[in-house]
Amino acid sequence: MTNSVNDLKNTDCALIMGSNCAENHPVTMRWLLKARDTRGAKLIHVDPRFTRTSARADIYAPLRSGTDIAFLGGMIKYIIDNELYHKDYVVNYTNAACLIKDDYSFEDGLFSGYDEENRKYDVSSWDYQTDEAGMALTDPTLQHPRCVFQLLKKHYERYDIDTVCEITGTPKNKYLEVLKTFCATGAPDKTGTIMYAMGITQHTVGSQNVRAFSIVQMLLGNMGRPGGGINALRGENNVQGATDMALLYHLIPGYINSPSNAPSNKKLIDYIRSVTPGSAKLQFSNLAEFRELVKAGFPNSGWKINSSKWIVSMLKAWYGDAATESNDFAYHYLPKRDDKKNYSHIALFEAMYKGEIDGLVVNGSNPVVGGPNANKEQEAMTKLKWLVSIDLWLNETADFWTYKAWTRSVHNSAVPKITPENIQTEVFFLPAAAVYEKEGTAAQTGRLVQYRWKGADPVGESKADLWIYYELGKRLKKLYEGSTRPEDEPVVNMTWDYDDGHGHDDIYKVARELCGYSLVDGNPVEGFAKLMDDGSTACGNWIYCGGATLKDGQWFYKPQKRIKEDPSGLGIFPDWGWAWPVNRRIIYNRCSVQPDGVTPWPGDEARKLVNWDAAQNKWVGVDVPDFVGTTAPDNPNFTKPFIMQPDGYGRLFAPTSAMKDGPFPEHYEPWESPTTNKMNSRDLNPATKIFEPEKQGTVDKYPIIGTTYRVSEHWQTGALTRNLPWLAELVPDMFVELSEELAKEKGIKNGREVIVSTTRGDLKAIACVTKRLKPFTINGKKVHQIGMLWQFGFKGYATGDTANWLTPHIGDANTTIPEYKAWLCDIRRA
Amino acid sequence: MRVTRRQFLKLSGATAAVFSAAELGFNFEATASAVKQLRIKNVTPTPTICPYCASGCGLVVYAERDSEGKFVKLLSVHGDPDNPINMGGACSKGSAMFNLREIYDPETGEQMINPKRVQKPLYRAPGSTKWEEKDWDWMLDRIAEKIKETRDSSFIHKEKIDDGSEIIVNRTEKIASVGGSGLDNEECYLLSKMMRSLGVVYLETQARI
Amino acid sequence: MANLTNLYDVSKCTACRGCQVACKDWNQLPASIKPFKGNYQTHEDTDGDTYTIIKYFEEEDPVHGVSWNFIKRQCMHCFDANCMKVCPKGAYTKTEWGATIHDPDKCIGCQYCATACPFDIPKYLKRVDKITKCTLCAGRVEEGLEPACARTCPTDALIFGDRDELLQIAEDRAKFLQANGFPNATIYGKLELGGLNKLYVLTDTPDKFGLPVDPKVPNVTFWQNYVQPYASWLIPLFLLASGTSFVTTRLIANKNKGHEEGKEVVNDAIGS
Repeated sequence: MTNSVNDLKNTDCALIMGSNCAENHPVTMRWLLKARDTRGAKLIHVDPRFTRTSARADIYAPLRSGTDIAFLGGMIKYIIDNELYHKDYVVNYTNAACLIKDDYSFEDGLFSGYDEENRKYDVSSWDYQTDEAGMALTDPTLQHPRCVFQLLKKHYERYDIDTVCEITGTPKNKYLEVLKTFCATGAPDKTGTIMYAMGITQHTVGSQNVRAFSIVQMLLGNMGRPGGGINALRGENNVQGATDMALLYHLIPGYINSPSNAPSNKKLIDYIRSVTPGSAKLQFSNLAEFRELVKAGFPNSGWKINSSKWIVSMLKAWYGDAATESNDFAYHYLPKRDDKKNYSHIALFEAMYKGEIDGLVVNGSNPVVGGPNANKEQEAMTKLKWLVSIDLWLNETADFWTYKAWTRSVHNSAVPKITPENIQTEVFFLPAAAVYEKEGTAAQTGRLVQYRWKGADPVGESKADLWIYYELGKRLKKLYEGSTRPEDEPVVNMTWDYDDGHGHDDIYKVARELCGYSLVDGNPVEGFAKLMDDGSTACGNWIYCGGATLKDGQWFYKPQKRIKEDPSGLGIFPDWGWAWPVNRRIIYNRCSVQPDGVTPWPGDEARKLVNWDAAQNKWVGVDVPDFVGTTAPDNPNFTKPFIMQPDGYGRLFAPTSAMKDGPFPEHYEPWESPTTNKMNSRDLNPATKIFEPEKQGTVDKYPIIGTTYRVSEHWQTGALTRNLPWLAELVPDMFVELSEELAKEKGIKNGREVIVSTTRGDLKAIACVTKRLKPFTINGKKVHQIGMLWQFGFKGYATGDTANWLTPHIGDANTTIPEYKAWLCDIRRA
Repeated sequence: MRVTRRQFLKLSGATAAVFSAAELGFNFEATASAVKQLRIKNVTPTPTICPYCASGCGLVVYAERDSEGKFVKLLSVHGDPDNPINMGGACSKGSAMFNLREIYDPETGEQMINPKRVQKPLYRAPGSTKWEEKDWDWMLDRIAEKIKETRDSSFIHKEKIDDGSEIIVNRTEKIASVGGSGLDNEECYLLSKMMRSLGVVYLETQARI
Repeated sequence: MANLTNLYDVSKCTACRGCQVACKDWNQLPASIKPFKGNYQTHEDTDGDTYTIIKYFEEEDPVHGVSWNFIKRQCMHCFDANCMKVCPKGAYTKTEWGATIHDPDKCIGCQYCATACPFDIPKYLKRVDKITKCTLCAGRVEEGLEPACARTCPTDALIFGDRDELLQIAEDRAKFLQANGFPNATIYGKLELGGLNKLYVLTDTPDKFGLPVDPKVPNVTFWQNYVQPYASWLIPLFLLASGTSFVTTRLIANKNKGHEEGKEVVNDAIGS
């Protein structure tokens, strides 16, 4: 979230799209309903299915799964055609005025630079025209034919209302109602929020769906302001934190690209150059020279000019005395991934399927239920030599080798005959403590980090994961103790002193390292601006820097703050927990005032968050200003509010390597689609990797769109809900929702069993025949969509077939997030 | 007299464990023997954060402890009224948190530990049809050995790269780690640090799926 | 003293069922897992281990399209509580603030209250051989806490307080809803059966939410007028005399057959 859960109460309009927030983030509805009751806010729900969110929305607009860009592209066109954009905001805070290179082009679904053979783009033409200093040329009148605004207008010319509705299947009157209602927030005194979740990201165009949101929100001037923003409702209690800590192959902690074997990452200084914007063409060959350049400042760098400090501080935290300036702070210890390889979830299980992976550690995760094409992922696991599963329960993944795991209620040619006897995997199950049987912090969806205290003892011999990792690390270090092999140095020299003095793990020691400390005096570093790249500070994750302080001379962890006061009345609660970065609750909040840094937007004094105070010579406000604190609005280096972007602009056009599949979002059909692409002649996103071409279902055999989702009562793979009797009783069985029309066509009765089939597998479930799903009319043809829960498996108090037996191994072009949300299937009576 | 939600919340706050009807201006007689003793009376609740969706609702855990303060059993787990996100509210999942540890037996109504919770480390040998209980030391030692064995046999220390030079890459592609979004930050951090120091590049979490 | 109760506003309910689970947590009730039958509302009705449920109703009309209505069902704590009148053992009492509570120590599991309830609320729980139902969390309220369901409601669809004040809130809200797209919005519980200690704001007429538009007390006058006043000495005689009906009722209940069926038998037996 760019804003916060509490901030939803400040909105004038909420566009809930690709999220079923009433069911999956129930508390968000508390604040949305407050906005409705106190401000007259309108709630809009756009979703293929009428859900408990739709039930409380003012407007419900159906759309076919996988057509969000068409829907939003039409909205962009509507905003521009009707001049509903927030002009001052667009001109000053976005790259609307920037001129784009002449060789950038878009034609019939392809952007310039496409390499058909490798399904990849050369992104060099997607860039600004620049002056000699490297700054983008601009036309603040927005009239130049190569300015972003004009290119945007041209790109979305094709997205007229009729065409959009033919693609999305949205009734035209409903679509118009949505456009009119949400685009009214372009008025300077109005803000609108967009809330999304997996309904947006789990597509082959998932990242571009989000990009489309950002274009809409920047045109309407809704970013960085209370009641606005793009609010990703994240799905797991600490998925934000897990991402922050870079439990993702392509990152290191703090959202820095992980190093690879590319020549540009060879030495620390090369790596720093590759992750520091604006540094590519500068002259420097070592850290000392680079420091001087940073001190002087250089253009197009943004706040990431400080990346070297974050990287070096992390290396100091990880490798202590073994990391020195003379050995590149042990940069060579970090694993360098193969730059040409994808190591993401799908690729990982594809490699495992080929027998390329011997050992797997599963940490509170359940891919046998949650992975796409789960039959295949389950089979892949039989090729492991060893598996470590850490969980509260024997979930389906821990028990993947049992007879039950290979039993299917419907004959399924995709599932081989496997018995425990022929699975040679050695399996270790480590019982973990539950959330309130241990302590630690979690970062919720608004980046707010809160502390959990221990309220009960772990059951039996179960242990906190922290203890498990600490113990495992100690044992590994012991095994490598005394080794002189250079390849063992990263383990031998990894700092691992988290002992509480009694042989147990001390969480505060971990937190101290995470939040950073000075190697000079041992005190916490009070913010990432104070981190250094000379080895004098250590910090495990720069975005958590400042999360600790000295209070009465004692080290204090700010996530433990519990002061429930909201002086501004805007729901900021600055002393409740601690939010990264630097306790900022609404990011980009400099946009809540006009470019002069002082004047609120006309009519919107109450929602001003920060302002430049000339008397004090600094930014002040009810939230922590998202701007360099003492840089005046007229400073040429920092005139733009999006300081994490090299150019400081909000990006209507995403230049160069920001996206792999285009600087503007374009509509492509899902990999498995019931229709052809009406917008251009490319059906599938041209930059998406195809893993299993032979598994693509076609409309002749599989005419129905399938999708998956959660319900209020069941969560993720169900391990944490199907094992709880009180939740098992609320939704005791796996079910498939379908329309009354489809049920009639297929002779299916409510409450009876049905079989759903795809090229990847079949499942049996109970039919939930409902008025809440309706057939779509797509490009003149009737198309049915069905949906089902993905929380079921063979373990727990509530059991049922697994929806992910049906979902494909294909993902988004940028992130490889699987396309769980739109695929083809057929359905019949069991 | 209006009994506002705020008054109630204030009284049931994480820091206000002792309740008094008199503070609300009520004057109750014990109306019936049916009114059970308030089992959370004089119990100090422990605040935590809900482990389901990422909204970050606060929850409070009420537990019975013996005279030495040792944990005996859960009494109730519900929304934390002090938490500004949920102000005491909790959906079905948050309200079911008691079940994460303990349940009421449908046959007898008795409170018991959730039988689905695993209480001891379990080991399954290659080709075996059953789990065996093992102790922690045995398990952790053996896992560490497995990790070392796989790492050492598959480790790529140096390799030739595109510009023709040879660099240190320190990675293994034969060990993978998935999950972690249900862990605390400190746990995620240790996992990330340990896996990367081992050279693991197949490192993924639920954020991807 | 004033009546204290819950106001439930359907226009704010998201049917998350937090109330349904919080009720189990507080009242220490096991789950009753039954198969899914094609409706999110898995429990067809409250039962001995489930004092409250959310009911789900799908509607469709040409003007408004599809709507999905939710309503919380539990004891209505009638001012004039018929369960109390018919109980042969005086197991029911009314708190001074309006909750109808049931004392399991006095209950003999005869289930006449179940028969007499206009809302079919008291349920027989075989495990303890007694009737159970919502107590409006009397134990909590008398210690200054809200009922568990109101406390947990994330959207404040359920709030707790002084009935007179809640009535005012309810009436204002109904008017607001009438002016904002719900012309049939109304309140429920103010006058029904002489007043319920449970208030509702509805976005449509009560029948759309499965509530009786004009609830009536079932016909159990014989019992109520003649037997109950002399319960202490008449019961043994009565049970002896009409043992068949008593046993029949019990058997039926024990077989978990439909509630309606049980009711007919009881009414016939009493009326004859």
